[in-house]
Amino acid sequence: MIGTVTGQRGKETSPPDLVNTTDEKLIELFISSKDERAFEEIVNRYADKIYRLAFKITRDYYSAEEILQEVFLTLINKIDTFRGESKFSSWLYRVTANAAYMHLRAQKKYENDVSLEDYVPYDENGTLMGRIKAKDWSDKPDKALLSEEAMEIIEKAVNELPEPYRVVFHLRDVEGFSNQEVSEVLGLSVPALKSRLHRARLYLRDKLSDYFYEWSK
Amino acid sequence: MVMCKDVVENIIGYIDAELDDKTLEELEKHLDECPECQVFVRTYRKMLELTGKLRERTFVTPEIRERLKQLLKSKLKPN
Ligand SMILES: [Zn+2]
Repeated sequence: MIGTVTGQRGKETSPPDLVNTTDEKLIELFISSKDERAFEEIVNRYADKIYRLAFKITRDYYSAEEILQEVFLTLINKIDTFRGESKFSSWLYRVTANAAYMHLRAQKKYENDVSLEDYVPYDENGTLMGRIKAKDWSDKPDKALLSEEAMEIIEKAVNELPEPYRVVFHLRDVEGFSNQEVSEVLGLSVPALKSRLHRARLYLRDKLSDYFYEWSK
Repeated sequence: MVMCKDVVENIIGYIDAELDDKTLEELEKHLDECPECQVFVRTYRKMLELTGKLRERTFVTPEIRERLKQLLKSKLKPN
C-alpha cells in the first residue's frame, strides 16, 4: 500500500513476505501481475542508491531528483528491456548512469576534465619522504572519524574528485560493487576502471589528509 | 631496490592480497623500515573503511520520496 511512512530514516517498511524476496523475483511479480507492492519494494531498495549515483555524476540535487523519477518511470514503461542477462541491480544502475550523462550533455555542463593519470604522492625520486607522516590521521579515535562532521568532510572530498574518477570510486568503494559490476554499469573495461580507481584513491587519501590535518588543528 | 613508489603503485594488490610472494616480501621489507609508507598504508586502509560508511547515509529526503511516490502512483494506476 502506498502512503504509510513508518520505519527509520524515512524508509518504509514493506510487507514481510516481500522484504526477503530477490530483486529478480519482485520484477517477475511486477511484470506478471502488475503487483504494486513488489514495485514499492524495489523503490524502497533502490531510491537512495539511484539518487546518490545520479548526484555523484551530476553534482546537482535538482537533476538527481529528476533522474530518480525518470529511472523509475523507465522501470515501469520499459521493464521488458531488462532481459535478465545481467543482475537487475546492474541494469538499473546502468539506466541511472545513462540518464545522468544525458542530463549533463543536455545542460552542456561539462566539467573541466582534470586528469589524475599523472597524479602521484611520491617525488621524482620515488620516495614519500616528508610527505605523509606529518599528516598522519590514522590514529584519530573512531568517535571523531565517524562523527557527522568527519563524514561531511569525507563526502565533500569524494565530491571533489574529477568526474570519471568520482563515479568509479563511488560505485566501487562507497557502494561496494565488484570490478565486474562497475564494468557492466559504466561500460568500462576492468583494467581501465582499476587504473581510475587507483588514481582516485591516491588523490582522495591526500585530500583527506589535508582536511583532517586542518580539522584537528 | 624497492622504493616508496613501489608500495604506492602496488597498493591495490597489497590491500587485496593479490601480490605474488616475491613482490609481497620485498614490499614488506620496505614497509618495515619506512615510516612514511607505514602511515601511507594505514591512512589508505582507514580511508576505505570510512568511505564504505558513506553508503549508510540517507540522501533521499521525505519530500523527494513523497514526490516520487505521487508520480509513480499516477503511472501505476492509469485511469
Ligand atoms: Zn617508503
